[in-house]
Amino acid sequence: MSLLENFKKGLWRENAVFRLLLGLCPTLAVTTSAENGLGMGLATTFVLVGSNIVVSLMRQVIPPKVRIPAFIVIIASFVTVVQLCMEAYFYDLYKALGIFIPLIVVNCVILGRAEAFASKNSLLPSTVDGLGMGTGFTLALFVLGAVRELFGSGTLLGYAVFGAGYQPLILMILPPGAFIAMGLLLAAMNFIDNRRR
Amino acid sequence: MNGLPRLVLALTLITVGAGLLLSLVESLTRAPIAEQRRLETLRALQTVLPAFDNSPDADTVELVFGTDKKGRELKRTFFRGRQGTEISGVAFSVTAPDGYSGNINMMVGVDAGGTVVGLEILSHAETPGLGDKITRDEFKGQFKGKALEGSDWRVKKDGGDFDQITGATISPRAVVKAVHKGLQFYRDHQQDVLTAERASP
Repeated sequence: MSLLENFKKGLWRENAVFRLLLGLCPTLAVTTSAENGLGMGLATTFVLVGSNIVVSLMRQVIPPKVRIPAFIVIIASFVTVVQLCMEAYFYDLYKALGIFIPLIVVNCVILGRAEAFASKNSLLPSTVDGLGMGTGFTLALFVLGAVRELFGSGTLLGYAVFGAGYQPLILMILPPGAFIAMGLLLAAMNFIDNRRR
Repeated sequence: MNGLPRLVLALTLITVGAGLLLSLVESLTRAPIAEQRRLETLRALQTVLPAFDNSPDADTVELVFGTDKKGRELKRTFFRGRQGTEISGVAFSVTAPDGYSGNINMMVGVDAGGTVVGLEILSHAETPGLGDKITRDEFKGQFKGKALEGSDWRVKKDGGDFDQITGATISPRAVVKAVHKGLQFYRDHQQDVLTAERASP
């Protein structure tokens, strides 16, 4: 598989959220606005790339029997690094994402890529895989957040879109809205896929 | 070397490495994080206090206002804003324990006469799109100019003077109640706050 293809698979064909349906807890919980989705996506991407690199480098050293705890320690370290840096330099985003930053540890996209890809491949493909999967995850969260923000608050990235007369569809901001938006986006993706064939 | 020792060694090395990395990052970010928190307090103080020319975050008084379940003292910090040597206003934080989800932490500022100058929501976990409208200026602004006397400290739905938010009455009700209690505490201890020596920095 070429590197470009390796990168592209995370965007659509093996998109973590819309195709593998992994990591849905943060996906559904934080996407109340496009900005939150983007921030969460970028933080996850950083952890994903970092853990893929380290796991790939250490794949000969880590004994298979203890690989899961080893992966978790590596992932948790990167998550803590992200959390500290975010609090120090992006305080507003840190406050908006709150509890969901530490919960990146249990995002199964990251452990999934460490186990399924990085522990079996060399450094470069693993890095590209992390970048591709992370970008796909970020895009998915951004789109989901944008759709929910647009209908739920009538804004996009904080700017009013529909004007003052718009009555926000509060449901879209609440948890059910996450499932509804997710379902509709999945249906749209399936529709496009079927058309292509 | 095989078997158990190898497993133990590998995991130990990984955790030691992780520990080193984390302590390095923590030491690098400690100062900026402390600065961010101080700036946040200062930002809140600037919005809730009348004009001042000192640094209120260094001119504080701590008073005990109760005990928690384990009998430890709960302290409330009062920030004093001054113009010259005169105290122009006092700010203190209050916590509403009965919001829709979790505590709502706020900073209230009053002038020398005890009239509210401003209210700032420091942190909350209210429902996005509903309860979180307590952070909007339309809601916070209505506290300005209100004092303990002459206002009915309840939301309009309960017969008081404060607008609730459509679809979310619990959050505004909690905020109004907490501010009210904070003002009562301040009224009862006004002399202590105004005359006390500044707490050691």
